[in-house]
Amino acid sequence: MLKKLTYQKRKELWGYGFIGIWLAGTIIFFLIPLLQSIWWSFNKVTIDTGKSVTQWAGFSNYSYALNTDEKYLVYLRNMLFETLWKTPLILIFSLFTAVILNQNFKGRTLARAVFFLPVIIATGPVYEIISGDIGRTGNTGAGQFSTLFSTDLTGELLKFLGIYGISDDMNEIISKISGNIFGIVWSSGIQILLFLGALQNIPKSAREAALLEGADGWVYFWKITFPYVSPFILANLIFTVIDTFTNPMNTVMKRILTMRSEFKFGEASAMVWIYFGIILASIGLATAVIKKSAYYDNQE
Amino acid sequence: MTEKKQLIWSFFRFIILVGIGFVIIYPLIYMISCAFRDKADMTDPTVMWIPRRLTLSIIQETIEAMDFWNTLKNTVFLNIGCSFVQVCSCSVTGYGFARFSFRGKNLLFAVVIMMILVPPQIISMPLYSLFRRFGFGDFSVNLINSMLTMYLPAITGNGIKSGLMILIFRQFFKGLPHELEDAAYIDGCSPFRTFVQIIAPNASAAFLTVFLFSVVLYWNDYYVSSTFFTNNQTVALMLKNLDTELKMRLFNSSAVELNPREQIVWKEAGCLLSITPMLIMYIFLQKHFTEGIEHSGITG
Repeated sequence: MLKKLTYQKRKELWGYGFIGIWLAGTIIFFLIPLLQSIWWSFNKVTIDTGKSVTQWAGFSNYSYALNTDEKYLVYLRNMLFETLWKTPLILIFSLFTAVILNQNFKGRTLARAVFFLPVIIATGPVYEIISGDIGRTGNTGAGQFSTLFSTDLTGELLKFLGIYGISDDMNEIISKISGNIFGIVWSSGIQILLFLGALQNIPKSAREAALLEGADGWVYFWKITFPYVSPFILANLIFTVIDTFTNPMNTVMKRILTMRSEFKFGEASAMVWIYFGIILASIGLATAVIKKSAYYDNQE
Repeated sequence: MTEKKQLIWSFFRFIILVGIGFVIIYPLIYMISCAFRDKADMTDPTVMWIPRRLTLSIIQETIEAMDFWNTLKNTVFLNIGCSFVQVCSCSVTGYGFARFSFRGKNLLFAVVIMMILVPPQIISMPLYSLFRRFGFGDFSVNLINSMLTMYLPAITGNGIKSGLMILIFRQFFKGLPHELEDAAYIDGCSPFRTFVQIIAPNASAAFLTVFLFSVVLYWNDYYVSSTFFTNNQTVALMLKNLDTELKMRLFNSSAVELNPREQIVWKEAGCLLSITPMLIMYIFLQKHFTEGIEHSGITG
């Protein structure tokens, strides 16, 4: 039977064959639940002996999430604000670290092994406990060093640099960042890996040419490294945003989980869809902005 | 001059690496330090790092509370199994998307991208009701608490982060030269046999990397499994609910109030127990974690 078909046609069938199992699974375990979730968000859902009973409710679940639920909006706002300042920091930190780890020095293998350690821990409940316990024992982020040497290390460093007390806002921002070093370092594992991969794709010839021209490290970074890495910034940005947004440890997700455990499925669905809408919009926006600037880099 | 500059930079690099390394290693040292100390040491202000009263009883109590050996056996069985079938299904799907052209391919690939973007929280509620009454019409079985709730999606390429894995495989297969398959096709080898006998052996690095990440993701997962399991069957779930388990198994009552500071010793011991298997794996296979991602061209 198969022999009678053209080569093209046969290859097409084989293509379906290869993705067939996935397609069947996706319809059952992804697409139908997805549609059901949309449907639930517009309905009042009650559970009767394990079977869901729906009753059309229009936008009332959405209006509940946005107007009535006093916690949801607050959590959502905090979450968005946190993502907004944390994501650039994670990207800068991971690029910086990747550049360092890409250099040749003694003990590089050990340094890499240590820096990627969060990759195997940071997605699980262990991370939640260790970040929580560190908070409870009063040793957060930069505080870890300070308690060790019983001084306010961040403050000392700022004084040393002569920028302590320039403005209160500045101090607040710096202390907020240093207080979150733990979170930033621990959520950068995969991003460092991706940047490192990008750095290793920089052709040797580019490096040699730059050396011949007498470019120093700073110029080399901006003229060679950064343009080569810029497409990966987008991939890393998307990864970071999805990672923070879908993390079950974040407060919005916890709120949704609570709603679920109270069997308020309709309201929980509406909350999760509002949330997902914001994720998509922000990823779309970031993609548009970065694509434009990355394109600009290539034109130069 | 340049040599001096080099030396100064080496020094700074060393400081930076040790500093960041400390932020990563600190929780692990703290874990070890807490897990082997008596709980009275937690409220003793003179004890910072080195326990005054060394003891193994906390570890033993935690092993008992988590029913560790049984839970470990369960988790490994679930973990390795799911990861294995997930890698198989995702690689086949990725290959289908990389090498064959068929109608609707772009649309279906958009579904893969959607799987990456949609938070698992959106579909978890409908999935719960799907597994609660799995089947057609009147004939249905309750799969909640069965490992099939994890295995079925994994077999069909819809497990944890499957979308990302399909994408990684697709990128990797796209990078392989066409000549690999052409020779096999001319010899009359079917596409599926070509995939198993020619392509898969050439992609062993990608397979191993994806498998390792899959193992880590399943190991750390508590969100998806807490949706489908009502009792704590995996190490991650056990750790997540360690508070209640401790009270029930050690004190036979859920009403006991534990001092939150003293509770840390059991929690840290639990963390230590849960990450040890992953740490051992990481120590032996660290190279594959890092190099695999770098060379798989995931972002290309």
